[in-house]
Amino acid sequence: MIEVNDIKKKFGRKKVLKGVSFTAEKGEITCVIGINGVGKTTILNAIMNLTPINAGQILINGETINKHSYEKITFIPDAIIMQPGMTIKASMQFMADFYTSWNQARATELLGFFKLDENEKINNLSKGNRAKVNLLLGLALDVDYLLMDEPFSGIDIFSREQIAEVFTSHLVEDRGVIITTHEINDIEHLIDKAVLLDGGKVLKQFNSEEVREEEGKSVVDVMREVYQP
Amino acid sequence: MNVTFNKRDPVYVQVIRHFKEQIATGAFEPGQEIPSRRELAGRLKINPNTAQRAYKEMEEAGLIRTERNLPSKITRDEDVLKRVRKELIMDAVDDFVHSVRSINVPVDEVLDLIKEKYEDESGGKGAKHD
Repeated sequence: MIEVNDIKKKFGRKKVLKGVSFTAEKGEITCVIGINGVGKTTILNAIMNLTPINAGQILINGETINKHSYEKITFIPDAIIMQPGMTIKASMQFMADFYTSWNQARATELLGFFKLDENEKINNLSKGNRAKVNLLLGLALDVDYLLMDEPFSGIDIFSREQIAEVFTSHLVEDRGVIITTHEINDIEHLIDKAVLLDGGKVLKQFNSEEVREEEGKSVVDVMREVYQP
Repeated sequence: MNVTFNKRDPVYVQVIRHFKEQIATGAFEPGQEIPSRRELAGRLKINPNTAQRAYKEMEEAGLIRTERNLPSKITRDEDVLKRVRKELIMDAVDDFVHSVRSINVPVDEVLDLIKEKYEDESGGKGAKHD
């Protein structure tokens, strides 16, 4: 489990996170929802300790982040970070050289799943296919938790559907996933838990099936109540 | 297998309803193997935990059976199968009565209309799932 306990973060004078708490379980998809600029990426960076927090605590399987945490968790940024001109194959090789947790069999399967040709240069790919390569490079690591920053942002509907299918497949297995998004429509049925963020705080967190079962509300219904009272 | 889910009913409930419809219409036969939880999640594009929940509930209701590590199967229990069919018919009738009642139509008029419609569509095979 990833436990985020009352974390605070300032950039200069600007308080971006004012005491954010939530948990994300293994085997579940937790969706951090909020409009752009609300601190979603900062939270993921904080979990990875890429952005040190000013206060609060983050625990991964009960431990504060340490060098071994990086064997359990990976961060997939919202855009691919690879040298220009690299082929998909070369970028996979780069990951394999860098991470002991690289799983080539899963990477090959993902290539097929996304219908990608590994000899293509990343620069020449469509935006949607670039997003798929980006996801592939993270998903192919044998880690317990995947943090994905806006995996659906700015890409065409068919690529979004294909990416959404990954979450229902064995390629994610029983790992824990945290996704940030400002757009929930496509993935309402896929997520286990929603964490609604605004003004540097968690306004509400809930299990999406529970809210449907107990209150007869969709995730978007709850968002409307919370964001437009 | 393609189901359009609404957003306000629990997804696992909608999955169970889909299975019941498939059983009642004969699309799923007694004793037929059904997809694994993970396969079902992939096909219906739903959360694997939701698929798991639907299977657990169906198992408890006796709709499906799982023996050891073998794939789950649709039950062969005649009573359960009859009950599923009856339940679906009752649900449909309830919905129908509910909407007709709100327009204040006398029951005799409704019954005549139903008979007429049924004869019109005598070639039709009932509701088809999309």
